[in-house]
Amino acid sequence: MASPVPSGVPRPGNAPPPPPNYNPNVQRAPADSIADGMQNLQINRPPSMPNQPVPGPPPPFAPSPFAATSASSAPSSAPFSGYAPVSRSGPPAGFTRAGPPPTGPPNAAASLRPSGAPPPFGSRPPPPGALPSSPLMTGPVVPPSNPSSVPGPMSNGPPAFASGPPRFPLSGSVQQPPVGPPPVSDRMLQAPPTIRPFPVGPAGSFSHGPPSQPVPPLPRFPAASATPRATPQPLHPFSSASQPSVPPYGAQTWQMQHRQVTPPIPGAQPPSMFEMPPPPNQPMSAGPTSMSHLPLPGSPAAGPSKIDPNQIPRPVPSSSVILFETRQVNQANLPPPATSDYIVKDTGNCSPRLMRCTINQIPCSGDLLTTSGMQLALMVQPLALPHPSEEPIQVIDFGDSGPVRCSRCKGYINPFMKFIDQGRRFICNLCGFTDETPREYHCNLGPDGRRRDADERPELCRGTVEFVATKEYLVRDPMPAVFFFLIDVSMNAIQTGATAAACSAINQVIADLPEGPRTFVGIATYDSTIHFYNLKRALQQPLMLIVPDVQDVYTPLQTDVIVQLSECRQHLVQLLENIPTMFQSNKVSDSAFGAAVQAAFLAMKTTGGKLLVFQSVLPSVGIGALFAREAEGRTNISAGEKEAHKMLQPADKNLKTMAIEFAEYQVCVDVFITTQSYVDIASISVVPKITGGQIYYYYPFSVLSDSAKLYNDLRWNVTRPQGFEAVMRVRCSQGLQVQEYSGNYCKRIPTDVDLPGIDSDKTIMVTLKHDDKFQEGSECSFQCALLYTTVYGQRRIRVTTLSLPCTTVLSNLFRSADLDTQFACFLKHAASEIPTSPLSQIREQITNFCISILHSYRKHCATVSSSGQLILPEALKLLPLYTLALVKSIGLRTDGRLDERSYWISRVSSISTPLAVPFVCPRLIAIHDLISKQETDGSLIPPSKPLFSENIIDDGIFLLENGEDCLIYVGNSVNSDILQQIFGISSVDEIPAQFVLQQYDNPLSKKVNEVVNEIRRQRCSYLRLRLCKKADPSGMLFFSYMVEDKTPSGLSYVEFLVHIHRQIQTKMV
Amino acid sequence: MSEMAVFDPEGVDGVRMTWGVWPRTKVEASKCVIPIAATISPIRPHPDIPTLPYLPLRCKTCTGIVNPYCRVDFTAKIWICPFCFQRNHFPPHYSMISETNVPAELYPQYTTVEHAFTAPESHGAPPPQPPVFLLVLDTSVIEEELGYAKSALKQAIGLLPDNALVGFISFGTQVQVHELGFSDLTKVYVFRGTKDISKDQVLDQLGLNASVHRPATGYPKGAHQGLINSALVNRFLLPASECEYTLNSLLDELQTDQWPVQPGNRALRCTGVALSVAAGLLGACLPGTGARIIALVGGPCTEGPGTIVSKDLSEPARSHKDLDKDAAPHFHKAVKFYDNLAKQLVSQGHVLDLFASALDQVGVAEMKGVIERTGGLVVLAESFGHSVFKDSFRRVFEDGEQSLGLCFNATLEINCSKEIKIQGIIGPCSSLEKKGPSCADTVIGQGNTTAWKMCGLDKRTCLTVFFDISPSDRSNPQGGLNPQLYMQFLTNYQNPEGQMRLRVTTVTRRWVDSATNSEELVEGFDQETAAVVMARLTSLKMEMEEEFDATRWLDRSLIRLCSRFGDYRKDDPASFTLNPNFSLFPQFMFNLRRSQFVQVFNNSPDETAYFRMLLNRENILNSVVMIQPSLLSYSFNSPPAPALLDVASIAADRILLLDAYFSVVIFHGMTIAQWRNAGYQNQPEHQAFAQLLQAPHDDSQMIIRDRFPVPRLVVCDQHGSQARFLLARLNPSATYNSAHEVAAGSDVIFTDDVSLQVFFEHLQRLAVQS
Repeated sequence: MASPVPSGVPRPGNAPPPPPNYNPNVQRAPADSIADGMQNLQINRPPSMPNQPVPGPPPPFAPSPFAATSASSAPSSAPFSGYAPVSRSGPPAGFTRAGPPPTGPPNAAASLRPSGAPPPFGSRPPPPGALPSSPLMTGPVVPPSNPSSVPGPMSNGPPAFASGPPRFPLSGSVQQPPVGPPPVSDRMLQAPPTIRPFPVGPAGSFSHGPPSQPVPPLPRFPAASATPRATPQPLHPFSSASQPSVPPYGAQTWQMQHRQVTPPIPGAQPPSMFEMPPPPNQPMSAGPTSMSHLPLPGSPAAGPSKIDPNQIPRPVPSSSVILFETRQVNQANLPPPATSDYIVKDTGNCSPRLMRCTINQIPCSGDLLTTSGMQLALMVQPLALPHPSEEPIQVIDFGDSGPVRCSRCKGYINPFMKFIDQGRRFICNLCGFTDETPREYHCNLGPDGRRRDADERPELCRGTVEFVATKEYLVRDPMPAVFFFLIDVSMNAIQTGATAAACSAINQVIADLPEGPRTFVGIATYDSTIHFYNLKRALQQPLMLIVPDVQDVYTPLQTDVIVQLSECRQHLVQLLENIPTMFQSNKVSDSAFGAAVQAAFLAMKTTGGKLLVFQSVLPSVGIGALFAREAEGRTNISAGEKEAHKMLQPADKNLKTMAIEFAEYQVCVDVFITTQSYVDIASISVVPKITGGQIYYYYPFSVLSDSAKLYNDLRWNVTRPQGFEAVMRVRCSQGLQVQEYSGNYCKRIPTDVDLPGIDSDKTIMVTLKHDDKFQEGSECSFQCALLYTTVYGQRRIRVTTLSLPCTTVLSNLFRSADLDTQFACFLKHAASEIPTSPLSQIREQITNFCISILHSYRKHCATVSSSGQLILPEALKLLPLYTLALVKSIGLRTDGRLDERSYWISRVSSISTPLAVPFVCPRLIAIHDLISKQETDGSLIPPSKPLFSENIIDDGIFLLENGEDCLIYVGNSVNSDILQQIFGISSVDEIPAQFVLQQYDNPLSKKVNEVVNEIRRQRCSYLRLRLCKKADPSGMLFFSYMVEDKTPSGLSYVEFLVHIHRQIQTKMV
Repeated sequence: MSEMAVFDPEGVDGVRMTWGVWPRTKVEASKCVIPIAATISPIRPHPDIPTLPYLPLRCKTCTGIVNPYCRVDFTAKIWICPFCFQRNHFPPHYSMISETNVPAELYPQYTTVEHAFTAPESHGAPPPQPPVFLLVLDTSVIEEELGYAKSALKQAIGLLPDNALVGFISFGTQVQVHELGFSDLTKVYVFRGTKDISKDQVLDQLGLNASVHRPATGYPKGAHQGLINSALVNRFLLPASECEYTLNSLLDELQTDQWPVQPGNRALRCTGVALSVAAGLLGACLPGTGARIIALVGGPCTEGPGTIVSKDLSEPARSHKDLDKDAAPHFHKAVKFYDNLAKQLVSQGHVLDLFASALDQVGVAEMKGVIERTGGLVVLAESFGHSVFKDSFRRVFEDGEQSLGLCFNATLEINCSKEIKIQGIIGPCSSLEKKGPSCADTVIGQGNTTAWKMCGLDKRTCLTVFFDISPSDRSNPQGGLNPQLYMQFLTNYQNPEGQMRLRVTTVTRRWVDSATNSEELVEGFDQETAAVVMARLTSLKMEMEEEFDATRWLDRSLIRLCSRFGDYRKDDPASFTLNPNFSLFPQFMFNLRRSQFVQVFNNSPDETAYFRMLLNRENILNSVVMIQPSLLSYSFNSPPAPALLDVASIAADRILLLDAYFSVVIFHGMTIAQWRNAGYQNQPEHQAFAQLLQAPHDDSQMIIRDRFPVPRLVVCDQHGSQARFLLARLNPSATYNSAHEVAAGSDVIFTDDVSLQVFFEHLQRLAVQS
């Protein structure tokens, strides 16, 4: 029981296998894994990047952008400084924030910014050096330096956590000193002017902004502003490297997570909250930045067009690894942005990877929450991949007695249970009940009131632990790892090569399945009938068993259909090789998907397990047969607009009934859809959704370009950390209660989440509601308990506890808002609405949601002075952009294919926080000039560019990725040398329709491949690569992702900001 | 009369009748007590039957075929049909006909001829049809049994002609249809055992309905149909030469049913669905051509339609008592299911053969209908390893002299004189419901028709036709009474070589006015046939009529018969004598009363059904043996000789050989047994003893050799437990009540049954009663 090996989740020794990369083998070795771990550690790189004075590159927009938000005026310089300064202020961190100070910028308001540029750098330099090493461990180094300057920092100091190079600078941005200093400043300067002209433009506001700052008091302090600056530089965006580019601080990144935020608050918040010594910052904070203001023309009249697009808030990547301690000085630390790169040290709260809250302080009352307009929800990803450098989760065996639990609410022992009465009793942090300490668990308390053994017992000092489950947690013996492959062999599947691709993928993946006697496999194929295979070793050759009754299915054998892998490996390999030829001339075009799934389920019923289905056409016969609604939808288009969303609802109830039964018997279904036509994902997706599986969608399927992805997806599917027959429940302190869970799971009783399968990629959203008030200063705990079976057959309980402070101050909520999480929450809500409400209504709802948050902030936290400004809370300054992106996303567009939208919805339902933002608001990078950049900044992935078509130049090649697809746009007049180097073709005309990225023997090609691989690692996804060119459907597709553009059906980013601003103003009145 | 047997009483025609001359009126007929019936062996081979390579001439009104009893006007080239008196012209190619030049079918001695037509123009030209064997194997049996069954199948496959089409289905909890024509790997279609499945579903699910344009007609007469199907057929049915290897390796790999059997439960076995699927498969591939489903079943059907007993072991299989009391919950449902299956098979022209080998019952009683109506073979044994099964099974496939001469797809039509009505047939056939003026109002067995389907028949198949007399007002347009009656049996069948044959048997008998001439009636009485007909009728009545008291009915019939035909003075039992033509009949009835056909409670319903099916299809000689076994005695002092079927025949120094048809018993007297145990037969000086010991074995082998199914051979000693097989069939002239009278070395039977002597006494007394 006590086996040290953690559950299946993080596979034992190794860090989670890297994402599906091509080299299957690499993964296992821990070392390697780290190297290519999905999480790229920039660890080593920091040095280089930091230094690079990115200046050059940034130019594009860099500087100004963020500026826009806050002090546009301050131009560039301000940007960073803004906020950052505040928080970091003290510390050398300065860079980031420091930046602002430098501000030398002309503007009055600028005061802050001014500081920005110059100083920052100066200061930073040092850090950089430190950082490199530090990122992870060294953290300390930095601190020292900081301390000197500011006490606060010290605390934070643990630069250790240095901000990693978050992929998404978004939140991280704050920290970074984004923009290249000087250059920026220049721009800024210039920019401002432009901005101003239009009050409207963020810039404009900006200008105002500054003014406001003086007033700053609380409101602003949201400090967000600091961040904003960061944003500016287009360059840095994601890649850490880029940031570094921002020469200024480049390196430093490390700041504490708390960053800035605190400072501003000063007044409001108890200093304690953040170690940061508020005082120091205050000055800065105040002025600068609290929030990003987008100066918007007070008068709506102002043409939106006048805003300088370069200055509006955009994500800023953080380049370096952040070292994050979950708690310090008995306070919860603000987690780094989900999209950033960070290493967690669990000091009491769980890693934010596993569970994070939309707001990192809990409103004491429901009213306060309502006022804020924000959602209170948790994103729980219980088996999330850890960073390779993080300590593994400890496994604790309490022996026969099982883990200590509260006798009333059954909460598990955790660091926030308070022991009293010399340790004889403890008070549950969840329900407040006082329990007797079990005798064998008794320990005296130390002078600090903690148990003397608190630091030795992981369950008393770690936010996440795993308990070995005792018998009372077992209904039956832990199930073996069963993998059942179900392959479509109907005529279409055979002819498009989908069957062959699936067989070959499975064949390769067999080697990656867990070794040992507990791994079982089965295989079946189907067209209008279902074909099982008896793989028992005794037989000379596999025996094909056909189940022809697809209305009322059954399994053809009780045993032998699912066999120990070790017993049937040869047969399996042989069979998989034969299947494509065996059905070569199959003329059956029907596909009995539902029946096949049901039959496979029956075969797996006794054990449960994973059912991996490869489907290629619309299921047309048998149970759960579907019909081509899409065609029908088109013919009814006129009448259909109102009811259009119904096409996204499941057409068949049987599938749902079946899925619920599957879940009951612990069968988790993943569906790989390799098709060239409509397959009604809306209906099919019900099965994976309810069983804790997922849909993979390859459309239009191409053997050439999709086979590799299929293989890699499958491989990641079976090798990623995962568990079976899981049950999850989230408990929270009295005052809150779980309102609803959403994600891919089966709901049998309201309080529990039944998960036949759970893996590292799956996230479950837990919405919360108040049922009582909290005391100011108290803490609210959340505990997620996941009881599951590892692939090696151990039964485990993973207990994840998060304790957050409660507050009555509205501004605290805004300051501690977690943008990524909020947005993910947002996204999921929207997705779940799509099938039941008209699109226009949802779009409006989303926009209103954004508006009401901003309005609340404007009304309660910002100064009244500048009505002409759009004032954004720093933490949420990108909310408008994301909202806009969401409104324009595939799911909410009317022109998309039904299946694409259904897929989008199903993907969103389990998407994790770090992937939510890019999924909607993809990353765009230029790759034609990789080499030159490389030389200058050393980061693997170049900084991202705003999703703005004006940036797409004709002689450039751009890569756009959203974690699923990767579009490579080749401009019309790209230098043929570059084409030759990257694609091996000499002219744009030769661009193939189906594309496989190859590595040629030249630095550029190598570099491109490195970049793509790095992205794959980050996303844990192989990405579907497609080439796009102008004046081609593929080009249209590419441009459809340019969310900042004005489109026939949507506003441009600038217009959208204006729109929001107006709405807020209207509300204010 | 006994010599008659030697003389082949059935003659060329293979027809025997209870009465050789017929009473003219219904009333007279009923006074005869024993029904007027004929037993016919439709395709019994006989060296004197000519085969004519052309189609026969048919009467244009009654479809009767030209025969030796026709009156022919050679000058007018006209023949007059003896059944309807229609005058028919000979067709042009008979123009050469004259008194000195008549075609074979008009030869007086050729009352039976066979027409062979290889190219029936009317139907296009189907090539000879290869025989089709669809093997259905039960896998819900223990390993050992499955092993026996497999080796029997392998042997059988080796014996099949190369062109025979073979298919294979195995079943247990589910049905597995093996696609033999799939080369990449072993491919099996699996059907669930719980669900009844229609023929169309089978088609669909086996992917056999690909030919959308199937002609609407039932039987595929057209050649194009054959072509369409052939591609499909070859997936499941392959010529033996092509699939022997596949089948053998498939059998090697075949395991017993892998579904778990819960403790306290029977293994799941879906015999019903398996047969249904088999029927569907044949129906799809080869409707209308000769094919047999050969089912090897090792236990009761416990799953799905056709279930005869529940899974729960605590529920025993139904017994005759249960059936009587209507306490067999599954019985009627199962019978109905199998009846439907019978209809399907008959319409397709396919045969179901059942080889049941189990200690428990397997449901023969329920399946009797489908087996009998399709003309299938049935063998009931205790184990697939038992010679009853093994040897019988082999015989099915054997060629040459031992061949059963299995033919397919036959129809029997009967034409007869107008005064004669046909009530029906008992035997392995199925009514085609072809109504005609010759149909009687009352029905016995398969009736209401003048045509019957025999999906399967062999050279000894025997049917019993029951007639009714109903003289019409104008029976003879010529005026005056026709002294002769005529009957014609037309059997159209596919012989083992796949050729179509038509056998025409025409018989005539004399009418007699029995009121005035009962002697003639007596002369025409065939007591063996009568005994068999009575046995068959009794069996049928026991099955069909509730509360039927067979013993009583037989007794009363016998008494009436004796009263009618005996010579006696009223009320003087001692004066009673019987004509030799009747003399054996009472004894037959005595043994029939005690036989397994009437005393069913000693047997399971399965056994009873089995016995009856064989009784109904065997020829008269064999059937008589079933009713009244023959007993031979072997001793030092005399050559083997028939012995009285009486306990008194037992002697310490004798060996008895009992042939009870289903079993052959060699019974050693006590002394013989002692000697044998002492091994005297191995000593040169006791060679005579060795020969004595060997003789009954040799004779038993003779009996066994040409009997199908192979009888069970029991070798036992006096006072041994197996001796019961003999004792049960002997007349209990000595019982424990009369033990003091028993001769030394003989034996007594522990029974309260009446002995033959007592029976006769009572019979005489009752027969003479006024």
